[in-house]
Amino acid sequence: MYPIIVFSVSGLLMLFLGLSVNKKSLLPYNLLFMLVGLASNFLDWNAPGLYFNGMLEISNPIILVQWVLIFAAILVSGISSRQFDDTHAYPAEYYAIMQFALVGALIMVSFQNLLMLFVGLEILSVGLYVLTGSDKRNLRGNEAAIKYFLMGSFATGIFLFGVAMFYGATGSFDISSGNSVANNLLEGKMFFWLGMVFIFIGLLFKISAAPFHFWTADVYQGAPTVFSAFMATIVKTAVIFALFRLAAYSFNLEYENWSKFLVIIIGLSMVIGNVTAVFQTNFKRVLAFSSISQAGFMLLSLIGLGAQSYGNLGFYSLSYALATISAFGVFLVISSNTIVEGRPSENINVFDGLFSRNPDLAIILLISMLSLAGIPLTSGFWSKFFVLNDAAAKGYFWILILGVLMSAVSLYYYFNPIRASFKKTDLGKIEISSLSKYTLYVCAALTILFGIAPNILRSLF
Amino acid sequence: MFESSIDRIPDVFMKVPLVNFVLLATMLFVIGIVGVLIRKNAIIIFMSIELMLNAVNMLLIAFSSYKSDPNGQIFVFFIMAVAAAEVAVGLAIIVMIFRNIKTIDISILNKLRG
Amino acid sequence: MHFLEIIKNLSLVQWAFYFLSILTLYGALGTILSKNPIHSVIYLVVTFFSISGIYIMLNAQFLAAVNVIVYAGAIMVLFLFVLMFLNLKEESTEMKTSPMLIAAVSTGLLLGLILIATIRKAEITRVNYNDFDPNTGLIETLGMVLYKNYMLPFELVSVLFLVAMSGAILLGKREKGESHF
Repeated sequence: MYPIIVFSVSGLLMLFLGLSVNKKSLLPYNLLFMLVGLASNFLDWNAPGLYFNGMLEISNPIILVQWVLIFAAILVSGISSRQFDDTHAYPAEYYAIMQFALVGALIMVSFQNLLMLFVGLEILSVGLYVLTGSDKRNLRGNEAAIKYFLMGSFATGIFLFGVAMFYGATGSFDISSGNSVANNLLEGKMFFWLGMVFIFIGLLFKISAAPFHFWTADVYQGAPTVFSAFMATIVKTAVIFALFRLAAYSFNLEYENWSKFLVIIIGLSMVIGNVTAVFQTNFKRVLAFSSISQAGFMLLSLIGLGAQSYGNLGFYSLSYALATISAFGVFLVISSNTIVEGRPSENINVFDGLFSRNPDLAIILLISMLSLAGIPLTSGFWSKFFVLNDAAAKGYFWILILGVLMSAVSLYYYFNPIRASFKKTDLGKIEISSLSKYTLYVCAALTILFGIAPNILRSLF
Repeated sequence: MFESSIDRIPDVFMKVPLVNFVLLATMLFVIGIVGVLIRKNAIIIFMSIELMLNAVNMLLIAFSSYKSDPNGQIFVFFIMAVAAAEVAVGLAIIVMIFRNIKTIDISILNKLRG
Repeated sequence: MHFLEIIKNLSLVQWAFYFLSILTLYGALGTILSKNPIHSVIYLVVTFFSISGIYIMLNAQFLAAVNVIVYAGAIMVLFLFVLMFLNLKEESTEMKTSPMLIAAVSTGLLLGLILIATIRKAEITRVNYNDFDPNTGLIETLGMVLYKNYMLPFELVSVLFLVAMSGAILLGKREKGESHF
């Protein structure tokens, strides 16, 4: 609850700081505000309950997820260092909108009323529509912005139709009111089911699960890389936790009905995400398709829906955020050093000879790719292990086999950049700003730490 | 007592069943979806999305009025506010694109591919 | 002549409802089918006005007024302003190619049929005669609920407006230099 207030105010302060402070010193201010927000979350610790007339729920697991979100935002700001200081960028606005978007994300993991979910979703989405189009002269960015905007508003419309039907069935927007229709007959549940289907579809659009994924690759490719990283981690985490809350509180009594369809969507996401990624040559598109398949894995915890599932999802989100942000971070540094035809190259061959150009970056890339693929000794292995275990406990063994199979397919495209980085090259060394270097070190170190001792994190949830 | 409360109820709630309003809103919603799918002009796609939102508003108000529960109408209030904000951002994006390529036909925009 | 009998027996509110419904759907179809975007806007305004009429029928007077002011007023003027500002002629308003068109229309119709069939089967609760409150849609009731129960989302919408405002300025500012791919 406190970080929501902190970020609402600090975003406003950031806009004013843009007038008085020079562009280079905005990032430290941004990091300071985010750390304040992170710290202010301590004030809610051990004070569970509903706040503001049943609008928000605060509990310790929710606070942990909010930490994951804020921490991911800090890492994204960390890798953004030195990316915005050309004459056409407006870093104050970017950071301010990032903080506002974070407000939306924080609401989405703690809402108790569907109205709060809607407001949070819109704050997050509208902020990202703007950030996607923030590189105004780049036609790819423009195209990504209009696609993201139109698909996003379309998804919001579908989501709202579901909310209206939910209201028609239950007469309330409180998420726990889904139980009130549990004993109705088939005819009395029609509206409730329609509501459930449309709410799910609207939110699945937002996390880009297949078959609602078609916008993802274009948007991730066209958006400025820092904001692609923001989209891949924070938006996905926030929406999946919103889905989890709905599944656990509103639709838990209909589990038998929706789990059958959700498991098909999970299977499709894994297959389409991983198989399409194999054929991509643009690294941002590879990460986009990889994020589709990761969304499939994350949704497995909704199938599990047990006592452990919330913690599993939290662990998955954090380890996915660490790996994805370090992949985007390494890519950002290298691609801005490799200018082809006047703009940073995004082809996978930018990684050629990375090991001789900057060994640290090559090792961080290696760790992040191994973690995304789910190789043991990285946190990615445990996160996949937990969610698959969870789904297997519910009797979905075929999805377990499919998950393992698709992880094997994913090895192929995750190893492409690694293979490229060990090629011989005569290109010079790569310089990297100290802030992004330390951010990347932190990501890699935590990935290994949670890979060796996952219980450090698991014991918290 | 029963008679007096019937007098207070406006005619429409007695003569037009709720399902008619729900069906009307659903038709409007489907027209909005079809509009999004068939048009290539960004502004008309955007207008179709507004149609979808209006269908949702009508649905919420119909449920809210028949249940005598003001919460649904409050939600409509928020949808309208959010729609206004979305329109501002969306039209800014459209103007930005028009400055660069002098059209808003989204099929012209196909620079992104695998 | 059973059909004619039904029409003859329609009461005034039923006439009003069917008239407004047909006007709404006509406006909606006009919006998505007209070639000229300006005509689309006009059709959409027709839809918004008839929707406002339906809100009045539904006893939601306040929202009917807000609908006219916000949608038919502010939002549509913004649309019209952008259309005229960009000076769009009819050249870019072609529909998608015919196979796509058929696929899209049939998807939409299928969805519509499924929805309508489902809703017709649904059991609809009737108006509860005992606790019906005709003042639900009045500004007094809504104001009390909005500022008492929904204080937090009301405040948070201001954050959304801040994002939209700074975002629209950010995107709308004219940029020097050439566009590139």
